[in-house]
Amino acid sequence: MPGAAGEQSVSIRLIVNDRRHQLETPAGETLLGTLRERLALTGPKEACGEGECGACTVLVDGAPVASCILAAGSVNGRTILTVEGLAGTGELTALQQAFVSHAAVQCGYCTPGLLMVLTALLDDTPDPSEADVRRALAGTICRCTGYQQIIEAALDAAQLMIRSATS
Amino acid sequence: MLGSNPARSDADAKLRGEAVFGADLASPGMLWAAVSRSPVAAGHIRSIDVASALKVEGVLDVLTAADVPDGRTGVIVNDIPFLAVEHVAYEGEPVAMVVADNRASAEAGAQAVGIDIEPTEPVSTPEQALAPGARLVHPDWNRFVVAGGVDIGRDGNVVAEVVHDPGDLDEAFAAADVVVEGTYRTPRQYQAHLEPKMALATYESGRYTIEVSHQYPFRLRDRVAQILGVAPSAVRVVGHHIGGGFGAKLDVSLEAFAALLARRFRRPVRMQHTALEERLVAPCRANAMVAVRSAVRRDGTILATDVEIVSDSGAYANNGPALSSIPMFVFGSIYRVGTARIRTRNVYTNTAPTGAYRGVNGPWLVFANERHMDAIADALGRDRRDFRLASLARDGDLMRNGQPLEEVSILREAFDRVDELVPWRDIVSRNQRQRDAAAPSSPPAEAGADVLRGAGQAAAIWLTNPMPGHATVKLNEDGTATVITSATENGSGAVATGLRQIAAATLGLAAEAVTITMPDTDATGYDAGSQGSRTTHVVGRAIADASAEVRSQVLDRASQMLEAVPEDLVIDAGVVTVAGVPAAGLTLGAVAQAATWSDGPITAGASYVTPTPPHDPACATGMLIKGWPTPTYHLHQAEVSVDVVTGRVTVDRYVVCQEVGRAIHPDAITGQIQGGVAQGLGFALSERVDLDHGRYVQRTFKAHGLPLAEDVPKVEMIVMEHADPAGPYGAKGAAEPPIVPVAAAVANAVSDAIGVPFDTLPITPEAVLEALEAEPNGEAVARAAREPVLNRDGEQERDTTGRAS
Ligand code: FES
Ligand code: FES
Repeated sequence: MPGAAGEQSVSIRLIVNDRRHQLETPAGETLLGTLRERLALTGPKEACGEGECGACTVLVDGAPVASCILAAGSVNGRTILTVEGLAGTGELTALQQAFVSHAAVQCGYCTPGLLMVLTALLDDTPDPSEADVRRALAGTICRCTGYQQIIEAALDAAQLMIRSATS
Repeated sequence: MLGSNPARSDADAKLRGEAVFGADLASPGMLWAAVSRSPVAAGHIRSIDVASALKVEGVLDVLTAADVPDGRTGVIVNDIPFLAVEHVAYEGEPVAMVVADNRASAEAGAQAVGIDIEPTEPVSTPEQALAPGARLVHPDWNRFVVAGGVDIGRDGNVVAEVVHDPGDLDEAFAAADVVVEGTYRTPRQYQAHLEPKMALATYESGRYTIEVSHQYPFRLRDRVAQILGVAPSAVRVVGHHIGGGFGAKLDVSLEAFAALLARRFRRPVRMQHTALEERLVAPCRANAMVAVRSAVRRDGTILATDVEIVSDSGAYANNGPALSSIPMFVFGSIYRVGTARIRTRNVYTNTAPTGAYRGVNGPWLVFANERHMDAIADALGRDRRDFRLASLARDGDLMRNGQPLEEVSILREAFDRVDELVPWRDIVSRNQRQRDAAAPSSPPAEAGADVLRGAGQAAAIWLTNPMPGHATVKLNEDGTATVITSATENGSGAVATGLRQIAAATLGLAAEAVTITMPDTDATGYDAGSQGSRTTHVVGRAIADASAEVRSQVLDRASQMLEAVPEDLVIDAGVVTVAGVPAAGLTLGAVAQAATWSDGPITAGASYVTPTPPHDPACATGMLIKGWPTPTYHLHQAEVSVDVVTGRVTVDRYVVCQEVGRAIHPDAITGQIQGGVAQGLGFALSERVDLDHGRYVQRTFKAHGLPLAEDVPKVEMIVMEHADPAGPYGAKGAAEPPIVPVAAAVANAVSDAIGVPFDTLPITPEAVLEALEAEPNGEAVARAAREPVLNRDGEQERDTTGRAS
């Protein structure tokens, strides 16, 4: 959401999905607001707006953050990856493909956030246990799936990535 | 094709972040509006001060009841004002609307409206609403109009009453050896869909267009028209991707406000709930109280059951009057009883109106029915599974509405199938050994002795919603097909894969060659929305019929082109060939081209409504749902560990046996069962929606206690197929019911583990510890109660838990 009318604006630079941006944003605007309203990146979702559900998760310098409670000004100069940046205009990533084959997408509103959390997990922990995956998802709510197919997709993607890295 | 797992049509777009949900919509030049809501549960509006709201930069106008259509509207009872007039009836009731040129200003303006209310002590609970001399939530209730003018038993705070009373209960109770009683209480449950409710409305050429993420566009069209006082055809609803609904997106919310403002300002108007509004006005599953008394003979025959139900409608009626028929399909229907009296009252309170949540009243009705079955088995000293099997309805038995249960033996098969996977006797004796080992008299406890294990079962017969659907199927000139329907994809995959597979299988195409349109009430026939698992069955049937007609047009045309009789032709992978002559094939594109430029394009439409099953129309007063069409059969079995130190309940193993007619996309069914069980576990163990003087206590996801990835076990599943002759390729509904038996199975397992009956939800750690403390001997006491209550002479003894009398 844009900041309330009449507030001062701040000038920030962001690298979002490999593209540089110089932006004037109202002071106090959230990173989610900046991405959605100014850069038209509506992949990160607006749900609770309170940092509770993870639907708005993006990676800031590779680390998952809830962009709905983060001021855009506080990430000035940082590198942001949103769901749109995962596959770009190319093929789905191994994780995204595993979501397709495991039927891990239902309504899909949590999906952009889950993908970012799990992308970061697989980056840090290429061969996670099931418990690792469940723990990584502690800050993300999916009301539709009961999580199982998401967890299986993540574990499967990890194995695929290990295999393709070693082959 | 059918029974395989092609990718969902929407998966790629959802995974790339490209799918446009309602909450992503914007329109050039749009205004934003927000609602000012009542801060109190009940009171008299003294004044509304709009001056400070108008001073907020960007605010264009503030509207109150004086500026909008008067009169009241609703789905069944016309009791809801457009904006509150004189009185407010719940916290969160809309009082004013603020329109601004941006979202932040609209929200700030809504906060700035000064609503001065003289508060009244709210009618906070159904008990208060029914107490003699209770204040009327709506003093003028008698002036509200009921749809169709039918008598639903309204009386003061009673919104609706359904009574089934054959008049022979006293006789049966006089003949009883044991009378078992229980009172089962359940709280509200919040749908907690992630995408907030929203609307984008435009007004052009005398018509309203509403773009929205909604489960039931045609109801929305009709409700907006009703509220604005215009013809339904003056409203067009266009559906977009839905970020979860679970029943919460079946009725109007912000759409009529946005439509009215779009007309007034001649600009597109966008609205969206804040996170707080989502919680204040969500149409939660109703809180309910179910009191059951059964007259039982020593041999286990249930002579009679007397059921008294009160459910909370909240401040307005919504669909509670219709849902009040559902007890008729649970009590005395799944298990045999000689006779039954069932009275259900749905009552007004000064709380947010309740509504539809997946499985509607099922989770609490089955909770009461199955807790009660355990109580009877315990009172008789019978094994709980054996007692269920002995009591189970048999093919041809009648439900309480007089509807014959033609295939209820499927449920008996479910008991067998679950037992093959996890033998009940093994669990029961293992748990007993473990409890004996943990008993104070046994040697010093080793690690883990503070954990007691228990098991529970719950059965249900659930319906497939019968309401109308329509589809037009057209063969495109490139040989692909498009299905035009307003069936909505709420996440289950019913549209994104189920309907697509049905069309593809009938037409001889790959699933990827079939496109299904997004909902549009201008462009399609009526569709009753995603509710009650109806889409695959009802719309699937319409699509199968329309596709069969398209197929026959294709064969006619191709038979001329191939000079063969239609009976000799086969269609496979988009190619028509003469059987046995695969070389000389015609693509469907070639056939479509030829048809289009000679007789015209190949298209066909079909409608379907499930007929109401045979029933006795005089079985009850006030029944709005008369039959239980296309029943499906469900048995759930839960094994739990209860930590008696922390009170924490862990679900160790959860088995679902579910009958689906025919599994079109098995992975999608897996997802529905796993997701439904997760929501059911939340309802049973962790989710909270408490009311304090009519106001919601929990206002964040965390406070609501939604299940997280670490809380939900992998559910084991047995999917049974018994093709339904009316369904497309035999399919019935599958998505709604997996939530229905969960709380019952879990509560039975926890009660079994600790020997204290849990007849109230949720079973939180605090509730477990409280129950154990309240009954220091709880374990021993309740264990004794499980011994036969008949002494050696066969005389009835007092049940020490007081449950039997
Ligand atoms: S929308 Fe950011 S955490 Fe929920
Ligand atoms: S798929 Fe709907 S919330 Fe996760």
